[in-house]
Amino acid sequence: MIDWGTIVAGILTLAVLTFLYRDNPLYKMAESILIGISIGYTLVIVWQTTLVDLLFDPLFGDSRLSLLIPLILGLLMFSRFLSKYSFLSKIPIAVMIGSGAGVAIPVMIEARTMKQISATVAPLVSSSGMPDISALVVLVGVISTLIYFYFSREHKGFIGRIANLGTYFLMIFFGATFGYTVMSRMSTLIGRMEFILTDFLHLTQ
Amino acid sequence: MKNLLPRHYVFLGLFVLTALVMSLNIKLDVEVSENTKRLYGFIDSLPENSYLIVSFDHEASSIPEIKPIATALLKHAFSKGHKLIGLSLFSEGTLIGYRLMSEIGREYDRKYGQDYVYLGFKPQYIAAILSMGESIPKTFPKDYLGNKYSDIPILSGIENYDDVSAVLSIADGSLTTHWIEYAGMRYNIAVVAGVAAAMVTTYDPYLEAGQMHSMIGGLRGAAEYEKMLGYDGGGARAMLAQTTAHLYVILMIIIGNVIYFRNRKKGIS
Repeated sequence: MIDWGTIVAGILTLAVLTFLYRDNPLYKMAESILIGISIGYTLVIVWQTTLVDLLFDPLFGDSRLSLLIPLILGLLMFSRFLSKYSFLSKIPIAVMIGSGAGVAIPVMIEARTMKQISATVAPLVSSSGMPDISALVVLVGVISTLIYFYFSREHKGFIGRIANLGTYFLMIFFGATFGYTVMSRMSTLIGRMEFILTDFLHLTQ
Repeated sequence: MKNLLPRHYVFLGLFVLTALVMSLNIKLDVEVSENTKRLYGFIDSLPENSYLIVSFDHEASSIPEIKPIATALLKHAFSKGHKLIGLSLFSEGTLIGYRLMSEIGREYDRKYGQDYVYLGFKPQYIAAILSMGESIPKTFPKDYLGNKYSDIPILSGIENYDDVSAVLSIADGSLTTHWIEYAGMRYNIAVVAGVAAAMVTTYDPYLEAGQMHSMIGGLRGAAEYEKMLGYDGGGARAMLAQTTAHLYVILMIIIGNVIYFRNRKKGIS
C-alpha cells in the first residue's frame, strides 16, 4: 500500500532543502503550504477547544451568563477594523495588559529575581570547609557581567577591567548557546535525513 | 557547476558526510550525565499510578529532535505504570503529542481513558497554566477526542495540581519557563523537562537554582536516557552522525578562520 503521507512529506522536505542552493519557486511553495496549514490547523483547533468548549457550549448550553463579559470584550477587539469605533478596542487591550501585568509582575520578581539572586549568592565555602570554586565563578561572572551593563560611569580603570572580564563571561555564554544551537539544528538535519534515506527513499534500514 | 558558491560545497560536504555515517549504522556509546540520572531517578522513584502531566510544548519542525526525547520519557513513564495526562500549549504540538502517546501507550498495552488521556490544546499558555492550578476540568471541559472530563475514568478525582505528582514539559522553546514560574513556583508542583538542545542554556539557571527538578536536552539527552532504559532509539542512532557533523562544523570554522586571516594578511577584504 502506498504511504501518501510519507511521499508528500519527502517531497516537501526536498523542496525546502532546495533553498540551500538558492531561493526558488519550489521552496516558496513548500513554505506557503507550511504557513497555510499551520494557521488553518491552529484556527480549527482554537475554534473547537476554546471558543466552542469554553465559551459557546457553557454560554448557550448551560446559560452561564457571566461568559457574556469575555464574549463582549473579545468582540470589541474587532472594532479596530472600523476606524470610527476603533477606540473601543482599547478596553479589552487594557484588561489584557492589566491582568497580564498583575499576574506576571509578582511571579517575575519571585522566580526571575529573588530565586536567581539567592542561587547566585551561594556560600563560597562548602560544608567541608573547602572553597566552592563553582560558586565563586558564578559570583564573579554575575558581578562582572552586571558591571559591563552599567553605563552610568565610563568603563575605565578598575571598572573597565571588571567590565572587560564580564565580556569574557558573555562570550563563554554566547559560545555555549551557539554550540547547543548548532547541536539542535544538526539534530533536525539528521532526523530529516534519516527520514529521507530510510522512510522515503528506502536506501538505508 | 560554475554557479556553485563555497557555501554550497560546505552544505554538500555536510550532507554527504552525514549520509555516509548514517549508512554505517554504528552505535556510539554515550556516558550518562548526572542530569539524566536525576530525571530518570525521579520518574523511577514515583509510586505506581502516580499522575504526570505531559505537556507537548513544541512546533512540528522540531520533531526530529523532540520525538526521541519524548519517546524515551513516555516509555519510562508507561513502563512504571504511571497515569499520564497529555496536553499541549502549542497548537502544532497537539496532534504530535496525541499520536506519540497513543503509539507508545499501545506498545505498553495501556488503555486510553484508564491509563492515559489527552486533553488537547489551550491557547494563552500562562492563563491555561494558572487556570489548571485552580481547576483542570474547568480549563479542559473535554478531552482531545471530545469526551467530557467527568466521563473519563482516569480523571476521576483529579481537580488541580495537588492531585498530580509532576509536570513533564517537552519543549523546543521557552514554554517550560512558564511551567516553572507559574505552576512550579505558585502551586509548588515539581517540573521536569525534555528540551531541544538550543534551549539548554536558557534552563540551566532554573536547574541550578532548584526551580526545576531535572531535564534532558537534545538528542544527546535522549541517547543517554535510552541507554538507561536499555534500548537503542532515535537518540542513540543519531549520536555518531551528530558527532561527525559537529567535527565537520569545527573543521569548517577553522578553515574559515585560516582563510580569513590569510586574506587579511594579504590585504584582501
